[in-house]
Amino acid sequence: MIALSDYLIVAGILFSIGVAGIFLNRKNVIVLLMCIELMLLAVNTNFVAFSHFRHDITGQVFVFFILTVAAAEAAIGLAILVVLFRNRRTINVEDLDSLKG
Amino acid sequence: MPFNSANLLPILPEIAILITAAVVLVVDLYLKEKDKGVNHVLALIGLLVAFVLTGLVGGGERVLAFDGNVVRDLMSDLLKAGALIVSALTLVYARPWLKDRNLLAGEFYVLSLCAVLGMLVMISANTFLTLYLGLELLALSLYALVAFDRDSKLGSEAAMKYFVLGALGSGLLLYGISMIYGATGSIELGAVARAVAEQGSGNKVLVFGVAFLVIGIGFKFGAVPFHMWVPDIYEGAPTPVAMFLGSAPKIAAFAMIVRLLVEGLNALHTDWQGMLAILAVLSIGLGNVAAIAQSNIKRMFGYSTISHVGFIFLGLLAGSTQGYASAMFYTLTYALMAAGAFGILTILSREGFDAQNLEDLKGLNERDPWYAAMMALLMFSAAGVPPTVGFMGKLLVLEAVVRVDMVWLALVAVFFSIIGAFYYLRVVKFIYFDQPTTAVPIVTTGGVRAAMTVNGLAILFLGLFPAALLGLCQAAFP
Amino acid sequence: MGFEKFLFYCFAAIALASAGMVISRRNPVHAVLWMVVTFVSGAALWILLEAEFLGIVLILVYVGAVMVLFLFVVMMLDVDIATLRACFIRYLPLGAAVALLMLGEIVWIVGPANFGLTHFPSPPAAGLDVNNTHDLGMSLYTTYVYPVELAAVLLLVAIVAAIRLTMRRRTDTKTIDPAVQSRVKKGPDRIRIVKMASVGPLETPETLAEAKDEPR
Repeated sequence: MIALSDYLIVAGILFSIGVAGIFLNRKNVIVLLMCIELMLLAVNTNFVAFSHFRHDITGQVFVFFILTVAAAEAAIGLAILVVLFRNRRTINVEDLDSLKG
Repeated sequence: MPFNSANLLPILPEIAILITAAVVLVVDLYLKEKDKGVNHVLALIGLLVAFVLTGLVGGGERVLAFDGNVVRDLMSDLLKAGALIVSALTLVYARPWLKDRNLLAGEFYVLSLCAVLGMLVMISANTFLTLYLGLELLALSLYALVAFDRDSKLGSEAAMKYFVLGALGSGLLLYGISMIYGATGSIELGAVARAVAEQGSGNKVLVFGVAFLVIGIGFKFGAVPFHMWVPDIYEGAPTPVAMFLGSAPKIAAFAMIVRLLVEGLNALHTDWQGMLAILAVLSIGLGNVAAIAQSNIKRMFGYSTISHVGFIFLGLLAGSTQGYASAMFYTLTYALMAAGAFGILTILSREGFDAQNLEDLKGLNERDPWYAAMMALLMFSAAGVPPTVGFMGKLLVLEAVVRVDMVWLALVAVFFSIIGAFYYLRVVKFIYFDQPTTAVPIVTTGGVRAAMTVNGLAILFLGLFPAALLGLCQAAFP
Repeated sequence: MGFEKFLFYCFAAIALASAGMVISRRNPVHAVLWMVVTFVSGAALWILLEAEFLGIVLILVYVGAVMVLFLFVVMMLDVDIATLRACFIRYLPLGAAVALLMLGEIVWIVGPANFGLTHFPSPPAAGLDVNNTHDLGMSLYTTYVYPVELAAVLLLVAIVAAIRLTMRRRTDTKTIDPAVQSRVKKGPDRIRIVKMASVGPLETPETLAEAKDEPR
């Protein structure tokens, strides 16, 4: 049978890929946003797996809300991206140097 | 299960804010460009009503509503009242600035009110789910507010940075929450606390989850080493938005940390104490040292915020009820102080000009002695000079830390605060001992002057008579 | 190896491989398409976990709406691809090190020692009478009705924010509002024919007076 740990390890690898992607793709905002979506997919998989193995629907309820929030977040993130592109004509993070940090 | 209307009582303030946001959204459609001030009045009325309702339903026993999703206790009453007052002050300061730049749109108020709603939800959250939704409601509104000035390059750039790092923080926080759910089988804080107390800190999964939670909290609070966004966002955001996100949300973030770590995971206190101590020392150190080098005053406030967050963490990590009460006192007064300090910047700005360099404060005393006095009070308070409230706050936090035998932490904090006092006092020197660089008179309205007077004098008054507020804070942590 | 286990390994492998492709593709459009693959195989994993409703929602909402939105923005912004990738190799060691460290910790914590079959025995397969959508709905609209309301406000904020940030009224278009057209009045809005006196020697005081008295 498939153990809970198998699912959690798959989710853990997904999460790490997301984090690695944030480091690797510092220059491209769109891929950054997708890396965050990957992290959220990993978190959701965690919740669904726990929910299944604990016979508790709460985990799935949580995933439902994370999906809702992530969709709203993606909409706002892309809206900001469009505004940024209109102002700067670039989404290259290294060109975004008006602020020092 | 039938719906019990008694559930609605504890969330009356939230309902009032939501109704106001909806009303502003609709009324704004029918307003002509010159009547946009109506939005402002409506928003202030909404905040006032919510404040009154908080008082009416507040007090008394701890109440759980909506199947344990919402909690109403003394801490939530006090923090809600604080968040509402500070938000109302920031809206008053923001209005002339927005009006000068043709940004007095209904959306600003709708988004601000939704951010306030998010804060209230966070403050009275009793499950991870409610807390997360409140946090995101606040964060999404703030992302949009930072980019509110669509034609500002700095604003959209700051919004993008804030968005990416904020979403990253949420992701890490959620991973921690999923681990804790997996280990305890519940997302309700009371049930989590019981399960954690049974398993103790021997459970590595819980400790692992807590580590992710603390990292997520660090991101949201802007503590070193997760602070990269703070100075940039303070500098890049429009001044009223920087004022808004630098003041009241700190109160909500304090509520989040108390709900998560103190109420949910108190049994793991020894684990998160160490993590918070690292964040606190780094924040106080780096915040104060980096602030000295800044010539942009908004950026300086950003680093100053980081150091104050360190102090709030100090009070929390003490782990005693005295420590929690002192951290709460510190947070409430800090939010008031931050609103006032940014308020002065919006007053000094005018059409086509944003006051954001230290030079812009030069000779403020000659241009307007009353505002100069208020700014001096605020800066003294931020530096921790008696008899202002900043001194009281620092004293209480340090006392709590010393009481739990962490004297070295207190010494580090005092050392860096003395370094930090330099840059606040430099501002005071600019105000009183330098010649003004411009002869343009300060244009201000009666409402702004009244709000600033209340704000500044409250800083002094609370410093002289801290007993009442401190008593309330202590009552919140029995 | 049972069929279920075979499916699990298949979909897990596809999900991880495509996630790797997402973060390593040069072209953002390709990255979005690989992301779609990741989500679909993620949804399959969820369905293996008997979370059918969420699995379908993931495909409908995520693949159907959010990823299409991403694709739309990528194409609309017309991004210059070559410059976006210059530093990929430079950050590779750091990124890989952080990710591997994190992965090591995660595997150590969530591995079989804490979450193996001995601690969490695999639950028996749900019967045909179990309705995941029904259970989720019951939970959402009773215990979690407050969060549902909050989610509604969140979506409202997303709408307001997205419209505020991106909608601009263009001033150079010549659109016509039908509401204004239908409210046209006879007097000031319609074209009006005015009789004018012709210029020249014919203009006499009599004709001028006549033009003045002309009814409108």
